[in-house]
Amino acid sequence: MRFLFILGEIGSGLRRNLSMVISVVLVTFISLTFVGAAGMLQMQINQMKGYWYDKVQVAVFLCNDGSTAAGCASGPVTKEQQANIRALLDSPAVKQYINDYQFESQAEAYTHFKEQFSNSPIVDSVSQDQLPASFRINMKDPQKYQIISETFSSQPGVETVSDQRQVLERIFSWMNGASVAAVGVAAVMIFCAVLLITTTIRLSAFSRRRETGIMRLVGASKMVIQLPFILEGVIAAVVGALLASVTLWLMAHFWLNGDLSKQFLNTPFISSTQVLVIAPVLIALGGGLAGISSLLTLRRYLKV
Amino acid sequence: MSCPAGFLRAMIRFENVTKVYEQNARPALDSVSLEINRGEFTFLVGASGSGKSTFLRLILKEDKASSGSVYVAGQNVANISSWRVPKLRRGIGVVFQDFRLLPQKNVFANVAFAMQVIGKSRSIIRETVPEVLKTVGLEGKERRMPHELSGGEQQRVAIARAVVNRPGILLADEPTGNLDPITSMGIMGVLDKINQNGTTVVMATHDDDIVNEMRRRVVELKNGKVIRDEAKALYTSMIPVVGESRRLKDASGEELNRAQGVQL
Repeated sequence: MRFLFILGEIGSGLRRNLSMVISVVLVTFISLTFVGAAGMLQMQINQMKGYWYDKVQVAVFLCNDGSTAAGCASGPVTKEQQANIRALLDSPAVKQYINDYQFESQAEAYTHFKEQFSNSPIVDSVSQDQLPASFRINMKDPQKYQIISETFSSQPGVETVSDQRQVLERIFSWMNGASVAAVGVAAVMIFCAVLLITTTIRLSAFSRRRETGIMRLVGASKMVIQLPFILEGVIAAVVGALLASVTLWLMAHFWLNGDLSKQFLNTPFISSTQVLVIAPVLIALGGGLAGISSLLTLRRYLKV
Repeated sequence: MSCPAGFLRAMIRFENVTKVYEQNARPALDSVSLEINRGEFTFLVGASGSGKSTFLRLILKEDKASSGSVYVAGQNVANISSWRVPKLRRGIGVVFQDFRLLPQKNVFANVAFAMQVIGKSRSIIRETVPEVLKTVGLEGKERRMPHELSGGEQQRVAIARAVVNRPGILLADEPTGNLDPITSMGIMGVLDKINQNGTTVVMATHDDDIVNEMRRRVVELKNGKVIRDEAKALYTSMIPVVGESRRLKDASGEELNRAQGVQL
């Protein structure tokens, strides 16, 4: 009975304040879309970092069947060449610059590749022996990359030495900038949303002050009096969050996994299912913010 | 400390209650001590600003006494935590001068509202509301909207709403203030009937005719102090009894009798 009564109260409240409720929905929708977009950018950065990015700085790629570099004239790397490179890595001359190193075999390279490009069509057209084995080096001082590069580039069996960070860092700094901008816009919009929710609840409380006055007098509990107002704000915000989640999913599905992944075959993209992880966060964020701001508003404007 | 027996008999009990709204200003209530017993009918009279409304607000715990204690049904309201205040208020019905009905709900829904919000089941509501409407003399008007009713009928709806949850106390703050004398007598009939069913009634009023007609306990407040507390009393102790009462009867004897018929 009480549950139905509260539902009825919410319904009448939403209907009475329809235009305000719609504006709350739209503002939370936009603000949470920006929050979600920032989240997606970060997820995309993680995807692009792949397995090695946070662990090592320099990769020494070894020759494989398809290598065309000068050092690979003698064909794929041999056991002996590999042992030489390893010995060089362990020698005092090199050791003073590095913390440690790891060997990535072709099989391991393939596993990491499949992980990173799991959402990309390219994964089906690459086989294990097309990928190079490599030594991954963790530098004491990443600035000393030149020394390592000079030492290993000329070694037989080495295809290239690359500092992967230098390649990706510029893209990442751009993407991080974009997420900061998105979060900035989101913060302003969330502020607007909170103000709007506050105003909506205030109006709603004012237009129903007769009812709430009587409820108080006949001894309705605080919860029965306040819950309809709070849920009114929460429902509006959650609808906004759902719209934002759907928008982000559509973006990931049709844009990232559609157009973009066909255009940039070498770039791994996040999948639309991964985006769904963001949805509960957005709903919790929207609902929580609305709940807290309506509760604080009611404290001031609704006597119980 | 008084004996427990006194606590049980007294439905409302004020012990040296003072209420100050603003520092430096004259207190709204000035060390008032008073007991209202279970089942009593008490008029609270006095000029505007004499402290009648403050008295009622303190019973409801709408305000906190600045000093002294207010007991309702043996319980010191100061000790009632805020989340249990609703429970206190369920034991008290309130009626106002301006009725305070919900304009978009019909008579039945207005009364049912008071039961819905405290979680009463639909079947109990369907059973109780018509009963209470019968008590206040509004049988067959369940489907009317408030604006289709006369002032007296609206006040009856408000009374029905106040007593539908069977409170032990009914507080009425000038319930006849907006009504003509005849209609007022009808309302008094309803309040009297509710009182005879065992409800303690406290009514703040300016209506001397009603007080003189009813002849109940009168507590007179002036500047926040009790200046008179008499059983079976009149509005003012100065005015001659007979003449005042007769004036009302002479003016509208027939209709008055009809209005009083509701009591029976």
